[in-house]
Amino acid sequence: MTTRAVPRVYPALLRAAWGSAVAYRGQVVLWLLTSLFPLIMMAVWLSVVEEAGTAGGFDGPDFVSYYVAAAVTNHFTVAWVSWQWDEDIRTGGLSVKLLKPLDPFHHHAIEQLGKKLLIGAVLLPAVAAAAAVVSSIRYPVGPGTAAVAAVAVVAGFGLNLVMASAFSMLSFWSTQVHNLYQLWWGVGFFLSGWVAPLELFPPTLRRVAVLLPFRSSLGFPVEIVTGRLDGRAIAAGFAVTGAWSAGFLFVYRVLWRRGLRRYEAVGA
Amino acid sequence: MTGSQAPGLRAGTYLRLLGIFYRNSLLNEMEYRLKFWANVGLSLFWLVWAALSVRVYFRFTGTIAGWAYHEVLVVMGLFFTVNGIHQALIAPNLARMTEYVQKGTLDYLLTKPVDSQFLVSLRHIGVHNWADPLLGLGLVGYGLARGGTAPDAGAVGLFAVLLAAATVLLYGVSLLLQTLTIWSVSSRGMDDVIEGLLETGRFPVSFYGGAVQGLLTAVVPVAFMTTFPAEALLGRAGWPVAVLAVTVSATIFLAASVFWRFALRSYTGAGS
Repeated sequence: MTTRAVPRVYPALLRAAWGSAVAYRGQVVLWLLTSLFPLIMMAVWLSVVEEAGTAGGFDGPDFVSYYVAAAVTNHFTVAWVSWQWDEDIRTGGLSVKLLKPLDPFHHHAIEQLGKKLLIGAVLLPAVAAAAAVVSSIRYPVGPGTAAVAAVAVVAGFGLNLVMASAFSMLSFWSTQVHNLYQLWWGVGFFLSGWVAPLELFPPTLRRVAVLLPFRSSLGFPVEIVTGRLDGRAIAAGFAVTGAWSAGFLFVYRVLWRRGLRRYEAVGA
Repeated sequence: MTGSQAPGLRAGTYLRLLGIFYRNSLLNEMEYRLKFWANVGLSLFWLVWAALSVRVYFRFTGTIAGWAYHEVLVVMGLFFTVNGIHQALIAPNLARMTEYVQKGTLDYLLTKPVDSQFLVSLRHIGVHNWADPLLGLGLVGYGLARGGTAPDAGAVGLFAVLLAAATVLLYGVSLLLQTLTIWSVSSRGMDDVIEGLLETGRFPVSFYGGAVQGLLTAVVPVAFMTTFPAEALLGRAGWPVAVLAVTVSATIFLAASVFWRFALRSYTGAGS
């Protein structure tokens, strides 16, 4: 299939992915239930400010707004495609996908998008309602900045998608990729803005964290929508996201071509 | 279909069966030695990482809800311990429930002359997660050493009782939730819910304050799993807590057993 034809099949495949997500909506409910983690972090920080007054310029409402935005952002940027890649490559399920005229990457991407649409349809109204009732959820930015934050969320999802895919390509050679990716993800967990807003880190650690790819899919969009970044910082954040995306895309495509040659050799 | 009764089998037989099951699991897993060491490495990494991230909170305050840094480390160590027990002993069995029901393996298990709850609960063991509880206890020890207080024999005894109660309690809650599979057929995601709830045990329950603290003590008894055992070691808990913990876990265990038998009565089998 030519690259130009890909955008035309997306709507149809997306409808199918939406249908499959709706069919398994029970799992989405469970998934929402399990995402208590940001609320745990929020609770800890609220206990801290109760004792310390403010922490690094953050007061209670700041933390509530930060973690609510973080929970929403995470739902849209997370890309659990490494499982699928790994299973397809190990079990030979990839062979079936290779018969189809569309690159397997798009199948994975669309499946994720379908889930995100469904979760978004539930989550966004819920958060909007919560923000209307709870006065401490506040985002002091105009529609322009909010739109920039939305773009950052999409970019973060893109980066996660190519990053997970790049790692998954190692499955052509090893069965331990899952552990490796978990390790990588574990480092990222700390440096993405989950444990604490990056502003509250020691300065040296923060300077490293803003250059790594992890902040792009969590802290960066949240910092935009909570009005903590100026124009220059936003541009720098997008530059970091773009650079890592390009890098991982390149690695992924190179490993994909090499892995595929090896995979065919195994199958023959 | 019933068949959960197993008359005539004594405790000795069950112990011998356990020996066979575990040797089997061990032999199976020894084929993947690299996986074992990779898991140990990964667990150690998570442990150090978690302990370091707690430091970020204490950059701004000396105590959080009355807990100092080293005391939070004790709770965190217990979280790894209990989580490890869950992954090594409980999850490998109960996570198979979906497969049992969907593939009809449960029909086959019910025909065995052994108690069915015993079979679905203790048949498998996650050998490559064995290190997690030990690493967790290591962090508990480090937290205690950092605080410079050694618990006396009474505190250790109290702790042992509370940890045993916590294990039974976690098993009971897991069995209660997984038994629902008999009706819902798929419990995929149920595991994640249990893990997600357990995740709140990373920190002392008083961190959550108010309603959530009450919820985590009375409804989802996470407080019994990490906070209370930690308080025992730190000399903050007395025997009344242990009595309460034993009562609660025994009640939940019995309730889960009764519920399992009740569910089997409405189970129609995969074939019919």
